[in-house]
Amino acid sequence: MTQAMEWIGNIVIIIGLIFMALGVFGIFRFRDYFSRILITAKVDTVGFITIMLGLIIKHGFDFFSGKIILVLALYIITNPIATHAITRSAHISGYRIKKER
Amino acid sequence: MDFDSIVLTIIAGLSVFGLVRVLDGPTVWDRMLGFALFSSKVIVAAVFIGIIINRTYMIDVALIYGVLGFIGTIMIARFVERKGDV
Repeated sequence: MTQAMEWIGNIVIIIGLIFMALGVFGIFRFRDYFSRILITAKVDTVGFITIMLGLIIKHGFDFFSGKIILVLALYIITNPIATHAITRSAHISGYRIKKER
Repeated sequence: MDFDSIVLTIIAGLSVFGLVRVLDGPTVWDRMLGFALFSSKVIVAAVFIGIIINRTYMIDVALIYGVLGFIGTIMIARFVERKGDV
């Protein structure tokens, strides 16, 4: 049973890694700031959630996983707010979207 | 080189790309974006280190780094938005 959980956790972590790699690839592919921040806000958070869930599955449910859930909850709350604050400061300072060449 | 340390090295490699965006980002907001991306990778790496050495204090390190990184990002965004007079 634990072997099966181990494998499921590993697969979920690999999926999370793929999301994180896509997030990093996204910020280099797009030329404009606003599409990059969209990638960071969304794809990176999904990657983070998937990796943390994989770790929780792999590690069973005890005090250790409780702390990982706490880190997960913190990150889910703070990352959107942080990316919103950055984009808000960009918008207020007059940085407008440029047409993709 | 079991599974966890392979994933840790991959995440460390990915975090370098976030710093590359900080280096060559044209606007200051790209730099802040690259830093936000880098800090998320550091949180994941801290959790993985906690799992590899099987100590729970590393998870607290990741938690505190997340909180401080968040506050730092908010303050820098506020500083840039108000052009210096916060």
